[in-house]
Amino acid sequence: MKLYESEAKKVFEKMGIPIPKQYGVIRSAKELDALQLKFPLMLKSMVLVGGRGKAGGIKKANNLEEAHKISDVLFKLKIKGFPVDCILLEEAVEETGACYIGITMDPATFNNVIIVSASGGVDIEQVALKNPQAIVRKEISDNNKEISKTIALDLASSLNQSMKGKNECSKILADIISKVYATYQRFDARLCEINPLLITPSGVVAADAKLVLDDNALFRQVELLEMLGITEKRHDVAERTKNELRAQSAGFPYIDLLPQPVTKDQGKLYVGLIPGGAGYGIFSIDEVSTIGHRYFHDQVVPVNFMDSGGGPPQNRVAEMFHLLMDYPVVDLIVTSRFGGISSCDIFIRGMIQAVIERYENGKRMVPIFGRMVGTDLPSARAFLEKAKAENPEALQHVTIYVGNQRIMADVIREGIQKAFEVKGWKP
Amino acid sequence: MKLVPPDQGMLYYIIENKRPDLAKKIKQSGIIETVVVGLGGQGTRHAELMQQYGTTITAGIAPGRGGTRLLETIPVYDTIAECLKEHPNIAVASVWRHYSTAKDATIEAIEADIPIIILISEGIPLKDVRDILVSARKHKTVLIGGNTPGVIFPPEGIKAGMLPDVFYPEEISPDVFGPKGVTIISRSGAILYHLSDALASVGIAQNAVLGVGGDGAIGSTFRDLVPLAMAYDNTDLVVVAGEIGGCQEELLAEDIKKNPKKYPKPLVALISGAHAPEGKTMGHAGAIVSPGQVYGTFQSKKQALESVGVPVVNSQYDLITEVQKRLKKKIYFDMENYYKKMKTIWDAPSKKTGWGTLITKVMPNNLLISGYSLQDIVEKKGFIETAYLLVKGEFPDKKTAEEMRKIAIDAAKRPAPNVHRSKKEDISKTLVKYFVLDDELAQYPEEGTNGAVKKTVFGIGRTARYLSGILHTEKALEKLSGDEPFSHVIYRAVTGNTMVNEQHSRMIEAMIVACVDHGVTPPSAQATLIAATTRAPYEIAVAQGVGAITDVHGGAGAKAAQLFTECILKSKKENIDVAQATREIMKKYIEEGKRIEGLGHRLHTKDPRRDVLWNFSAQTGIAGEHVQLSKKVSTIFEQVRGMSLPINVDGVIGAIVADMGLDPAMAKAFFIYGRIAGLSAHYFEEIASQPRMRQIHFNEALYKGKGPRNIQ
Repeated sequence: MKLYESEAKKVFEKMGIPIPKQYGVIRSAKELDALQLKFPLMLKSMVLVGGRGKAGGIKKANNLEEAHKISDVLFKLKIKGFPVDCILLEEAVEETGACYIGITMDPATFNNVIIVSASGGVDIEQVALKNPQAIVRKEISDNNKEISKTIALDLASSLNQSMKGKNECSKILADIISKVYATYQRFDARLCEINPLLITPSGVVAADAKLVLDDNALFRQVELLEMLGITEKRHDVAERTKNELRAQSAGFPYIDLLPQPVTKDQGKLYVGLIPGGAGYGIFSIDEVSTIGHRYFHDQVVPVNFMDSGGGPPQNRVAEMFHLLMDYPVVDLIVTSRFGGISSCDIFIRGMIQAVIERYENGKRMVPIFGRMVGTDLPSARAFLEKAKAENPEALQHVTIYVGNQRIMADVIREGIQKAFEVKGWKP
Repeated sequence: MKLVPPDQGMLYYIIENKRPDLAKKIKQSGIIETVVVGLGGQGTRHAELMQQYGTTITAGIAPGRGGTRLLETIPVYDTIAECLKEHPNIAVASVWRHYSTAKDATIEAIEADIPIIILISEGIPLKDVRDILVSARKHKTVLIGGNTPGVIFPPEGIKAGMLPDVFYPEEISPDVFGPKGVTIISRSGAILYHLSDALASVGIAQNAVLGVGGDGAIGSTFRDLVPLAMAYDNTDLVVVAGEIGGCQEELLAEDIKKNPKKYPKPLVALISGAHAPEGKTMGHAGAIVSPGQVYGTFQSKKQALESVGVPVVNSQYDLITEVQKRLKKKIYFDMENYYKKMKTIWDAPSKKTGWGTLITKVMPNNLLISGYSLQDIVEKKGFIETAYLLVKGEFPDKKTAEEMRKIAIDAAKRPAPNVHRSKKEDISKTLVKYFVLDDELAQYPEEGTNGAVKKTVFGIGRTARYLSGILHTEKALEKLSGDEPFSHVIYRAVTGNTMVNEQHSRMIEAMIVACVDHGVTPPSAQATLIAATTRAPYEIAVAQGVGAITDVHGGAGAKAAQLFTECILKSKKENIDVAQATREIMKKYIEEGKRIEGLGHRLHTKDPRRDVLWNFSAQTGIAGEHVQLSKKVSTIFEQVRGMSLPINVDGVIGAIVADMGLDPAMAKAFFIYGRIAGLSAHYFEEIASQPRMRQIHFNEALYKGKGPRNIQ
């Protein structure tokens, strides 16, 4: 979970990392008048994406009038799709130099790694790509709460040298590096970063603060979350779509693959997926795309990612089918149930429940093509056969293969083939 | 199907690689032992599935539950250290603990030097995972996971984790599996079924499937496991199933370039996520960790692997093509056979869930307590040792037996609560009063390794005291020196004599031991078990069992003793043949609608306890006219009633009690006394091995204890 800069700075302050004087966070330009401000100051858009400066989200104001003008502009801004709801106001710091300090986990070795660079204040990803030697990294293999003084001093000296700073600066930098590391470990961070750390005549100041918390560890960071007034887990990806919100409240992972709202291309077949666990959720998108490309002139479009694995209860299964049938673009639903540890039976009951309910209420119906194998297959098959005999009309467009003699790729291909035939298209 | 022996499979190969000494022991025993760490719902459920698949689960670990049992038969320990003391050859640990405690449990297993750890728990904080990794590196542990679906070795029929039984091994003949095949190493669990399906559709076997785990930091990556699998002789090809995000695939490619010798076998990579929307996985920090490198996308992975000659596929069809090409269309098994087997597995009706007891196996005309026949026990062992056997599954060694005897004698010496016995009150009711009112028993501890058996033995000592209260023989117990065998204590309590008649003392003990247990189905055992499901205190649960021993159940001995006495008296008084007297009395009983007790059994046609008690009474010189009559009573009954009913243990005890000149009520007292040991054992077993408040289906109980054996 990402923290806003203003929140991360509170944490830094608590850990003794110097930050610019904070005047407050405002939600409208009007609030400026009520604050005790000293100019010049910085107005910073509080959004959870990088590159705010480049996008014009960070501005300096020399007087109140300017501050009003800037905040009016900022509140109308969208940065990488994120609207600006809050602006942080802080002291503008006079600097003589800048650098970068960050701690994260190396994805190759899973050790913590301290990254420092004299190229502070710029897009560090670009530096890493174009000028890797400008970056110094140090892996820490022990995972202790703190780093040794030697390591901190070594890194600080090399940083200081490449910034051509005064010697006494090394000690200050070493202290900051140690504190950033301690912050990272103490609060279960995935990333703790200062970019830039400004060198001022009177010391150093963290002009920006970035702290990404480990979602898995939020349960034990209660004190931190209380201090920041965060009461529920923050979703820091782009705004959720209608379908995504619906799936979330029903309790299953779902992602729309098409930008919403969708303009349907009438020459294409849109396939919804209820595929099983997350891994097959990703893979089935590829399968549908590949099969569409190879056998159906790229006329096939997968519409969603879904994780329907892990043995969902019957009502949730029904909701998966309802969601895709309510989604107007979907022409065909491909489903696969592999009852490994979960049951085929509950799945098939959920599916049939949804289809019959829709049929009886005159709701939109979408053909279903799929396969089931695994646990509780006999009862699932019996239930399906009985339901088909009792509701031949409602279930006429439901085709479920039983057993694994036909691999899923064949099932998908056949399902698309049938859908093409109905549309009168040529494969 | 015949499986590949564990010491010839890949799992063994990995263990041998890491811990040669342990491997030698596995060679000797022929089994690879696994421990299940974390016995919540998931851990327990999968322990059962693993066991059904063929994994040898030696023990379970759950803090606070040491001394209980997993799946009714597998011992549970509080810590790994305690477990390894008893089971030093454990080679695999599967960890199912909650994410908040998984770290400590895993590090404990690593530090105990278990070579292979499968960390199933998901959602462990990254910082904790790093601590686990630091420890695993130090101990050279093969750590797989966290958040792994586990590992499965189809040729050997061993798995650790939650992968289902869908992966099919090589067939070297129609009923023998072979060790060769393709090894699949995957980041996702759900995709594995579809890989297996695809390969099986062209007859390609899997000799191992390893799930590396889906969390941000994991114990073993492709770079660690692919070379390991390739070094194993029977792996012909490796399939890695990767996906977008992270950099495992790129690192694998880099390693192949640097150390090509580690990769002597064909490798095919399936990468998912070619069509996944962008911007979901790439983080700011991740991108700058390895300066100058781009990774994590489908393209970066594909390029990296293809640049070192690894074909990258993205569909089932291409996977089949590429793997077949590299294996030169080799076929490992008959596809029809495979589909048939899968169909059998899936079509099988869901398994009936019986529940287990390790105490007594009840068969017609035979009772085995922990494998020993009851006849044998009656002949060779005393009451306290038998009670110990019931609770612990083994007889005590000499030192322990002595310790137990002292506990029992100490219990017998302490005063009993003041209990009033009404006139004609059933002795079982009186004993219930004692049990309920006795603070000494209630307060005796039952925790710790031997807590259950100590409490049982203490309860047995107390019961001697209760009997002395009922029979007003307390004085005979006050002069106990502490050195006498417990049989003497019983004798004193029953007779009030301080001068022990050794023969009588042994006879009484034998009758008591003959009644100790009859499995879980007698109403008394049912009553105690139901109380145990609610975790009622020991003395209450036992009292409920005792209270269920009425004239209908277990009380026949007293009635039989009365009948035999009446018959003998009549024959003497009227100077007629005993058989004649008996026939007349039986007729009268039948006319009056009274039952003739001591005959018939719902299960035994020849009660296993009959002959041993008759012999005992003959050997001790106790057998007299009542015992004589008891041997003929079945025939006499047939002459009167026209149907044959065998004499049962109650009848035999009734006759012996009559011959000993004891109060007929003692026949029932002995039955109850013996059964208290059995009830105690069932009480403690229930608590140790079953969830609370379970519904007990008594006729679904299965004996899962030791097989038949002889007393040494």
